[in-house]
Amino acid sequence: MKEKEALKIVEDRLNAGKEPLKILDDAQRAMEIVGQRFADSQYFIPDLVYSGEILKEITDMVKPKLAKAAEVKRVGKVVIGTVAGDIHDIGKDIVVFMLDVNGFEVYDLGVDVPAQKFVDKIKESGAPIVGLSGFLALAYDSMKQTVEAIKDAGLRNKVKVMIGGGQITEEVKKYTGADAYGKDAMVGVSLAKKWSGAG
Amino acid sequence: MPVILDIPLSLKTGEVLRREGLGGNFKIRPRIKNLILELLASVKQVHLLEPAVAYEIQSITEMSREQVSLEGNSVVHGSLLPSTFPEAKELAIAVGTIGPRLEKQVAEYFDRDEPLRGILLDGIGSAAVDSLTQEVCRLITAEASSRGYQASSPVNPGMPGLPITEQWRLLEMVPAREIGVSLTSSGEMIPRKSISMIIGIGPKMKTWTRAEVCARCSLKNNCPYRVKIKAYRQHQKQQK
Repeated sequence: MKEKEALKIVEDRLNAGKEPLKILDDAQRAMEIVGQRFADSQYFIPDLVYSGEILKEITDMVKPKLAKAAEVKRVGKVVIGTVAGDIHDIGKDIVVFMLDVNGFEVYDLGVDVPAQKFVDKIKESGAPIVGLSGFLALAYDSMKQTVEAIKDAGLRNKVKVMIGGGQITEEVKKYTGADAYGKDAMVGVSLAKKWSGAG
Repeated sequence: MPVILDIPLSLKTGEVLRREGLGGNFKIRPRIKNLILELLASVKQVHLLEPAVAYEIQSITEMSREQVSLEGNSVVHGSLLPSTFPEAKELAIAVGTIGPRLEKQVAEYFDRDEPLRGILLDGIGSAAVDSLTQEVCRLITAEASSRGYQASSPVNPGMPGLPITEQWRLLEMVPAREIGVSLTSSGEMIPRKSISMIIGIGPKMKTWTRAEVCARCSLKNNCPYRVKIKAYRQHQKQQK
């Protein structure tokens, strides 16, 4: 990863009047390569976040040039939070950041989030994707209750629910009634892309 | 009820890297390594660490398969203590924290769209809690030794056989509020960078390494922060 060189290339391409959207597409492709290297254990969480920061810098450079021609389209909306009873935030914050730099509009509800707050935000935002985070084993019950609250509100068929956290497994996914689980931030991003049709 | 402040913490780069998920022999980017070194310096400069520990040593009055009774009618439930410390005569209950300042700074970095600094500082905080744990163990080992006893390695609520709900009991047994530690409604400690532990004390106690604890953990196959036995032994060898 060569931050200065990457930013210089973007600057040169912008100055040369190259198509801004093409620059963003290329940067997104680079991010996909980073994601693959992360999945292959060649890169680690700090590498992933570092590349996300570079992508964000590139997006910030390109955005003003886009204003006249086109807007950066958000690929989808995601409501996310750490479920009630759990106050762990660092993993959730990494997922929020990676979703953001990958083009999602993210509604981050914070930590220790009651089920009803998820329901209210899904209704308000119309987000079709929900992320439930939790590190402790006690979070599984909260995740299950949140999925049930979404169902009781008549929203279950309108949203896809992914869960994530330190000890989440396929069994936990089944127990909570979620649609999928992500073992790390990039799996979360891949799921969101798939569900929003951007993958 | 002893409360100790200003505990010296050792933040070795290797331990910090492990807590960043960069342990082992992986190549670390210069930008990331430089940032870690910069953050380590800033942690000292702006006093982000306020280590403190509250502990209490109590005699065991009775031990059954499912609980340990202590003087003063306190009881610690769960099978872990009787199975791990059957020979213990006393238990040391300790709660330690590095204070709230570091995690506030982490949150600030995320708010300022600097997540890399945020996660790296969070890892430094975790390494500081590890160091605090070691210092508490040294302290209690020295205390036990002065009375001709040995101290075991620590166990923590949340381990199999020691329910996390026992946190409530432990925090009642030590002056946790004096060091600013409290519990959420679900039993998580605030500040988050805190630790609670129980150490067995007796004439002859077992000890174990962190690598051995990691080897028994259910997350051992995919935990980025795992201490590997081989790496641990190499580290110990280098320290000698």
